[in-house]
Amino acid sequence: MNRNFFFHIRPRKISTKALRFTLTYGLGGAAALMIFLQFLTGLLLNFFYEPFPVQAYLSVQHIQTELLFGQLIRNLHHWTGHFLVVTICLHLLRVFFGAAYFSPRRRTWYSGLLLLLLVLAANFTGYLLPWDQLAFWAVTIASSMLAYIPLAGELLQRLVLGGTEVTEATLSIFHSFHTTVLPFAFLLCMFYHFWRVRKAGGVKIEKSNKEEMLPVVPELLVRELSFAAVVTCFLLLFAMFVDAPLTAMANPALTPETVKAPWYFLWLQELLLHMHPVLALCVLPLAFGLFLLFLPFWGREAEKPSRMPQLIFTSFFLVIIALTSTGIWFRGAGMRLVLPW
Amino acid sequence: MVEKMKNPQRRSFLTKIWIGLGLVALAEFISGGISFFVSGRKGTGQDSKSHIIEAGNLSDFLPGSVTFIHAGNCYLSRLDDGGMLAISRKCTHLGCAVPWIEERNQFECPCHASIFDSHGSVLKSPAPRALDLYPINFEQKSIMIDIGHPIRRPGFSADQLAYPQELG
Repeated sequence: MNRNFFFHIRPRKISTKALRFTLTYGLGGAAALMIFLQFLTGLLLNFFYEPFPVQAYLSVQHIQTELLFGQLIRNLHHWTGHFLVVTICLHLLRVFFGAAYFSPRRRTWYSGLLLLLLVLAANFTGYLLPWDQLAFWAVTIASSMLAYIPLAGELLQRLVLGGTEVTEATLSIFHSFHTTVLPFAFLLCMFYHFWRVRKAGGVKIEKSNKEEMLPVVPELLVRELSFAAVVTCFLLLFAMFVDAPLTAMANPALTPETVKAPWYFLWLQELLLHMHPVLALCVLPLAFGLFLLFLPFWGREAEKPSRMPQLIFTSFFLVIIALTSTGIWFRGAGMRLVLPW
Repeated sequence: MVEKMKNPQRRSFLTKIWIGLGLVALAEFISGGISFFVSGRKGTGQDSKSHIIEAGNLSDFLPGSVTFIHAGNCYLSRLDDGGMLAISRKCTHLGCAVPWIEERNQFECPCHASIFDSHGSVLKSPAPRALDLYPINFEQKSIMIDIGHPIRRPGFSADQLAYPQELG
């Protein structure tokens, strides 16, 4: 029965080409593993976390100082969340430059985009939970950006925050999403994603007449398990040596010197400094989103995406990376440009 | 099915009725869910009394001063001519709390360096509009601020000022 279940998302035999590491760099697998790790560590943390102002901060402190391995588990959950955003973006890049988004992989592409949004949502809702100054003001800034969206912006902000400011209602909403709604959405979306990969005949490889086929168990299974072990080791080591930040308790009356949105939203905050809010927060992100949705209909199945989509995608991505790194490293107090050294 | 359908129209009619009933039930569940969420939010009720706070006596606020009102989390700015403004401290750019800097006589936002004058008007962007105002009422000698109803404004104009009826 176990085998039967396994073969729902895996074929019995696989081409040697599909086993090549550089075909995927194991990015999708790494992302899936990290989501699984987030489920585990999140489950543990949720036993001790209390989603109310003040108690939230105290319970995180309690987890870090009183519980055996508490600090390690929080670090692991915190850093895996950040690495997950990076991994899933790299996965997106690999799939794009391999042009693996055309039918029959169109729905895999769409569910992958949805998973990217879910990862961002999970990160953002989790950001508030420690209820420290960093969390409180980052969420204040990021959710204030919502209000700039024309027509629906203010309503949207009200729905997200449960009011006009970050309060206990916000914490309760974010906690519900982070621990119930989003994990459930992840499960559904991931199973759909994997099933579509299987239906499309696995990862995209050059078709040829005589392919050498190897059995999935053990050839693929051993490779996947050993790569999973390497990724887990890396995350554990990182979490052992770098502590997740916990600043002073949230104080709505005192804005700290430097306030930034979470790093994956910093490019939006940067855009907002350079151009009209509607253009920065509505037109441009929407245009890029539509471009990604429209991609599977642009051109034909090929080795690489055609020139025009490649140009648009690359320039968008470079701009986002440039803006994000400016926001992370080159902005000091009052969002003045500074050097990081 | 071995037997031929006796009355195909009647059957499809019944199917449509079932689908219609199903949709009605779905709509009911959805609206029930929405009203559940809306009713649970604190502060959406009719009880507007709790939004009105007492700032203090008129004599506490000298002309040409800006005072932080702790209970309302806002500023009471009294201009030189005695007119009053209750100014929100939420920056109109991205919602940071704006402190009043006494030495330079202006509000300076720590997040993106927006600057506002004592009327709350923008002196330096990126803030897109002046700080929000709250309605002021005078009850005998005390000043009441309605913090439940912020007023958005592009900039300062004289009709925004509230003057106490009897000075002194």
